[in-house]
Amino acid sequence: MTDVALPAARFRQRPALRRRRTKNAVMTALLLVAVALALGALAWVLVYVGIRGFSVISPSFLTHNPPGNPAAPGGGFFNGIAGSLIVVGIATGIAVPLGVGAAIYVVEYGRGRLRGAIRFFNDVLIGIPTIVTGAFVYAVWVTRFGFSGFAGSIALAVVMLPLVARTTEEMLRLVPTELREGSLALGATRSQTVLRICLPTALPGIITGGMLAVARAMGETAPLLLTVLGNDLFTQLNPLHRMETLSLQIFSNAVTGYEQAQARGWAGALTLIAIVLILTAVARFFGRRVQVENV
Amino acid sequence: MGDRSTGRSWFSVMLPAIPVLAVGLSACGSGAGSSGVPSATPSPLCAGVNTPPGHTNGVASVSGGASSLSGAGGTFVAPMMSIWSAAYNTSDHVQVAYQSVGSGAGIAQVQAATVDFGESDAFMTDSDIAKAKGPVVQTPLVQAPVVVAYNLPEITSGLHFDGETVGKIFAGQITTWNDPAIKKLNPNVNVPNLPIAVVHRSDGSGTTFIFSDFLTKESPTWVSALGGKDKSVGKTIAWPVGIGGKGNEGVSAAVGQNSGGIGYLELSYAVAQNLTYADVKNKAGSFIQPCVKTAANATAGITDYPPDLRIDVVDVSTDADAYPITGLTWALVYQKQTDAAKAAALVNFFNYVLTKGQDVAATADYTPLGADLQKLCVGQLRKITLNGTPVAA
Repeated sequence: MTDVALPAARFRQRPALRRRRTKNAVMTALLLVAVALALGALAWVLVYVGIRGFSVISPSFLTHNPPGNPAAPGGGFFNGIAGSLIVVGIATGIAVPLGVGAAIYVVEYGRGRLRGAIRFFNDVLIGIPTIVTGAFVYAVWVTRFGFSGFAGSIALAVVMLPLVARTTEEMLRLVPTELREGSLALGATRSQTVLRICLPTALPGIITGGMLAVARAMGETAPLLLTVLGNDLFTQLNPLHRMETLSLQIFSNAVTGYEQAQARGWAGALTLIAIVLILTAVARFFGRRVQVENV
Repeated sequence: MGDRSTGRSWFSVMLPAIPVLAVGLSACGSGAGSSGVPSATPSPLCAGVNTPPGHTNGVASVSGGASSLSGAGGTFVAPMMSIWSAAYNTSDHVQVAYQSVGSGAGIAQVQAATVDFGESDAFMTDSDIAKAKGPVVQTPLVQAPVVVAYNLPEITSGLHFDGETVGKIFAGQITTWNDPAIKKLNPNVNVPNLPIAVVHRSDGSGTTFIFSDFLTKESPTWVSALGGKDKSVGKTIAWPVGIGGKGNEGVSAAVGQNSGGIGYLELSYAVAQNLTYADVKNKAGSFIQPCVKTAANATAGITDYPPDLRIDVVDVSTDADAYPITGLTWALVYQKQTDAAKAAALVNFFNYVLTKGQDVAATADYTPLGADLQKLCVGQLRKITLNGTPVAA
């Protein structure tokens, strides 16, 4: 439009415009390459694990335990699947209330130095390598009470806690101040405002964050090596005993060198990815539903 | 703000995939580890059926045992332990969870009393026991050869090695496969001109103890390179050369992946990975293929077992048909038990291992204990007490 109206100006601007267009094209291409690499890696993992896993996985894989002879074919990871759900379930039960509570304090009540300290230590906790978390739980818990599913739950709760606290905090911050002010102006107490206004408004995000922490915990292996230790062959549903988890089972089968055990490891990896994807999808679904109901 | 939270959740969605990817890669690696090279043709010494010993001299079953036991220790015995615990659960409905963490870690877990029993291919020394929470009953469970496995694609039959040559290789003083010392032992084999890639254990290992014990007895070069006999044998060694692998699994994978690789591992791992392994010269001067039978020969002549059964059987036999790098592997159990159910379950399980369990050993390439030693091992079970009285009747 302006091009036609002002040919002289167009002429003057041309070199700068061309440079900007070239820059734009290059940067767009770079970003597309980055996206392709990121998605490509994810697709590669999914497809490769899918191909290796699908040839082994079957209904009986999900309902049976591994055979005693690691070189024998057949068998499945039922004990690991059950153990993972129990260990992660207990960890979630510990981490979510504590994490949400910490976030409520930081956003709604906290002030000054304590609030800063909580946020700082939460950030530090996110950065701690999970194997260190496992070593810590080994030192303070396992040396006194022995290896158990519950010890693993404690370690996973420590891994999950800062993630839950952080996402909850972000979500509570997104709740408009006007809502709080409106609630308080109508005579609601501080706690009523938090429980009836802030938490429900932030709930979809909190659920999503919690589920992502659960998904993260499902795949964790390092902290469990030193706490749950594993129970290769048997189904153990009592968290006070040694249990198997899917992540440990994938690890121990992958490193054996027995072809059949490695095949089971791949099927286990596929199962783990499926569980994580299902959990993520469920989180998204509930997150949306709660959001719609609130609006 | 909306955009920001989307970005965060994208990243978080990718996070759980990372450990899965890492495991996937390692599985891929060890899959490639199987070289597909068939092992040496069985020597006449190894041919034929392995007769199950059929021991019936166990202790009477103790009632009131716990329904599960927790154990951890050597990777050396792990495939065997897996078969035992599955069979024992089928017959006696007791779940024995065994984790192969390495002999060093097995002893450490006994000292920390985090497991019901430990397991190690090197018995606990007095100083090890001093760090434990009480006296420990140690009983051999089974024996097995430690093989010198290598990855030379063209060579499918067992090379001949003697202790000094293996010692020089692991001391870094022989660095290529066509070294005169190796050629001299294998005049009819066209050994390639490849660099030797030494693979050893990275963790505290009873397999390392058995292997370094053999080298210390047979190779003066090994002893002097390591700086004396106190440094040349142990569960951990200050290796002059080579790369470390964790567990027998790690060593077998590393040997399988590196052309020119050489490492030491328990026989059943080499069989499972299709690795080729050497015939090793014994005290009588013959080159012996490791197998169930030649490992049995290695302890057949021993009669003077000490009362605590802490005996070094590595390279002691003068039998012409004995494989020299043969070791025992021990169960480690606190003598003074405090929990009646656990104590009963421990005695019952190890009683199974020492009687019926011996019959299945050879099917997994492990060697059952000799009759003399087996009898003494059952006797060790009788030493386990609960509140001062023996658990076994």
